[in-house]
Amino acid sequence: MLNANSPLASGPSYSFATPPNQTSTNIKQHSFNPYTDNGGSTLGITGDDFAILAGDTRSTSGYNINTRYAPKVFKIGEDDGTGESAHIVLSVVGFAADGNALKERLNAIVKMYRYQHGKPMSVKACAQRLSTILYGKRFFPYYVHAILGGLDEEGKGALYSYDPVGSYEREQCRAAGAAASLIMPFLDNQVNFKNQYIPGSGEGHALEARKATPLPRAEVEQLVRDAFTSAVERHIEVGDGLQMLVVTKNGIEEIYDPLKKD
Amino acid sequence: MNSLVAQYSRPAFRNEGFSEREQDEFSQITPPLSLRFAMPPIANPSSFLRAVTDDHSNPNCPIKLAHGTTTLAFRFQGGIIVATDSRASAGDWIASQTVKKVIEINNCLLGTMAGGAADCQYWLAYLGMQCRLHELRHKRRISVAAASKILSNLVYSYKGMGLSMGTMCAGVTPQEGPALYYIDSDGTRLAGNLFCVGSGQTFAYGVLDAEYHYDLSEEDALELGRRSILAATHRDAFSGGFINLYHVKEDGWVKHGFNDTNPIFWKTKLEKGEFSNVTSELV
Amino acid sequence: MNHLPQAWGRPRNAILGAYNPSILQPSGPKAHTTSPIVTGTSVLAVKFKDGVVIAADNLASYGSLARFTDVKRLRTFNRRTVVGFGGDVSDMQYLDRLLLSLDIEENYGSSGHDLNALNLHTYLAKVMYKRRSDINPLWNQLLVAGLDGLDQPFLSSVDLLGTTFSSPTLATGFGAHLAQPLLRKVVDDEAKVGSVTREQATNAVRECMKVLFYRDARSLDKYSIAVITKDGVELKEDEELENQSWAFAEMIKGYGTQTV
Repeated sequence: MLNANSPLASGPSYSFATPPNQTSTNIKQHSFNPYTDNGGSTLGITGDDFAILAGDTRSTSGYNINTRYAPKVFKIGEDDGTGESAHIVLSVVGFAADGNALKERLNAIVKMYRYQHGKPMSVKACAQRLSTILYGKRFFPYYVHAILGGLDEEGKGALYSYDPVGSYEREQCRAAGAAASLIMPFLDNQVNFKNQYIPGSGEGHALEARKATPLPRAEVEQLVRDAFTSAVERHIEVGDGLQMLVVTKNGIEEIYDPLKKD
Repeated sequence: MNSLVAQYSRPAFRNEGFSEREQDEFSQITPPLSLRFAMPPIANPSSFLRAVTDDHSNPNCPIKLAHGTTTLAFRFQGGIIVATDSRASAGDWIASQTVKKVIEINNCLLGTMAGGAADCQYWLAYLGMQCRLHELRHKRRISVAAASKILSNLVYSYKGMGLSMGTMCAGVTPQEGPALYYIDSDGTRLAGNLFCVGSGQTFAYGVLDAEYHYDLSEEDALELGRRSILAATHRDAFSGGFINLYHVKEDGWVKHGFNDTNPIFWKTKLEKGEFSNVTSELV
Repeated sequence: MNHLPQAWGRPRNAILGAYNPSILQPSGPKAHTTSPIVTGTSVLAVKFKDGVVIAADNLASYGSLARFTDVKRLRTFNRRTVVGFGGDVSDMQYLDRLLLSLDIEENYGSSGHDLNALNLHTYLAKVMYKRRSDINPLWNQLLVAGLDGLDQPFLSSVDLLGTTFSSPTLATGFGAHLAQPLLRKVVDDEAKVGSVTREQATNAVRECMKVLFYRDARSLDKYSIAVITKDGVELKEDEELENQSWAFAEMIKGYGTQTV
């Protein structure tokens, strides 16, 4: 039987604006919205032999601060409680409950992979799998912006960023969440050297653009701190603490720095 | 009757939480092949999806998906040229300037991405899988016609559910020669010599139609593809970034670079004297 | 989150724009209750060095009517954990039955490992998230207070969307606005929990219950308070606010243009 509310029975829907179908009754019904935004921001940068994922630790509901310590960056695939067996990191920002569900799902999959194949899952494989997980909820999306980090087969830093339904891309750097629009332009300039030119390399249009090169770890860590301290100044949903996970060939290192709590 | 008995003979909260099957699915290391997607358990899932993800009808929608594009492909005597820009926008926000909108389905088939980035990535990867299965079953490469039809039938079965994609399949096979198909999420599938797809399509058509001949040399064809995308990135706010250029031949495709539009623009202007609407004065 | 349970789970206009009615339309074969009827207001909790203090008043409101004045919104589990319920009372009672069945089941097949507060919170978070994913939410915000597997104080929250968070002090509903800042004066950091005594924590919670009674129109002066430590739960369900002072009321000179 054809459901009377199925798209086939109610006519086609269009990608452009059409007024929402009004029901015949004029009863104003409030209904349940399964999404909310818990604010916060995350960012990831890679270097030659490391990847850093960072996130602030504030969780908000509207103008309230739920807690000042809710991590957004997680180790994936650890199974000994110490975190030493993990080699992939995931950050999620958006709706925290969805983010948590996504993290737990990917975590289970990466562990299962190791038990069944006897080797850790490569970051590339994990990145593809995360994409299919997200796309599996194409019609009821996880409201999260995910970033996945680790080291690729050559030992180089790898970073993958996702939209809520799983389109993904490997990048050098990416900011997501509430303050993405504040942080991303900063990273374009400081990591990929966008709009930086070599002084004296030419006149006018001949001026040569500065080529992007992988940055050393200390410099990247400082960039992350600067990005967040600046975002805290200009975005109300960002603050309290900065959590960084650094993936190197020696494992994952966790760094916590306080941010302003106002 | 049995389900009725079962329903009332034990408390409702017995069904609370995730079922065993759901939990198994959550930890499956390979994605399910059955194409079962989680649906919001409500009467009208597609309008729900529209309300939360369609930033066109609701600019404040909470979940913004990556969109926007100019892509083109055309047939000529030497094969097929495929060219795209690389910008993805979510609402007014430029989500990325480095999107790979040419999707390498396998080493002789290319797909292009316009509309929902995830839809295109996922379904063209799925198409790649189906093409490989076809090769294994029939011991020969799939024709572009067949491959494009797999895709169009697939998206047609999801019609009205909110998929958004406008894609082109390009390939050269011995039986077909250079073959180019346009497929979109409405279920349209068209064969043709020349297509431009996306928000910047009109600007690309303007350049492409004016200069296009089937007998174009390879070098001229590549330049025409590049120039058409350049025109679109110049006039369409939702297009920009890099020009991604491919040439498809019978023995496979060849990549001709992923180049920043900005230097190409200035080169085109200063060396060829085009884009005279823009001043070159640096004040 | 807004302090009114009726507003929970609704899209906030500031973020999402005006409410879009096409999200859900009332027609369809299966319509769940999408609004709370009889509601409880704030639940407060604070960690201290040996455990957690949690409190909630005994009122169940029907809109603005103070309908039931003897409803206990703190529930012990396992003699080691207390769950505090804000929001819909019928959903609270459903969860109460659910927890009862869980308790029976766990004890029946138990091998000596009973569920601690952390385990219980994980379980409730899964239940709540599954329900929101079925668009059939349990309209509550819960605080789970007790001790974790290492016998450290544990306090965490889960709401109707399945969102979870943990903090040294937590408050739901109106308390999130009014009590949380006062409680944070006592402990604002996880590291400082070790220096807070039971008396400090209890006094802070009692003081906050009083402040809430002064200003929250859906609150009551009779409340329940529980202290969870390694030795078990001390639950008092018939407390009354003491030393109330309404002196501040004299300062209030009416509303709007009225100044005398």
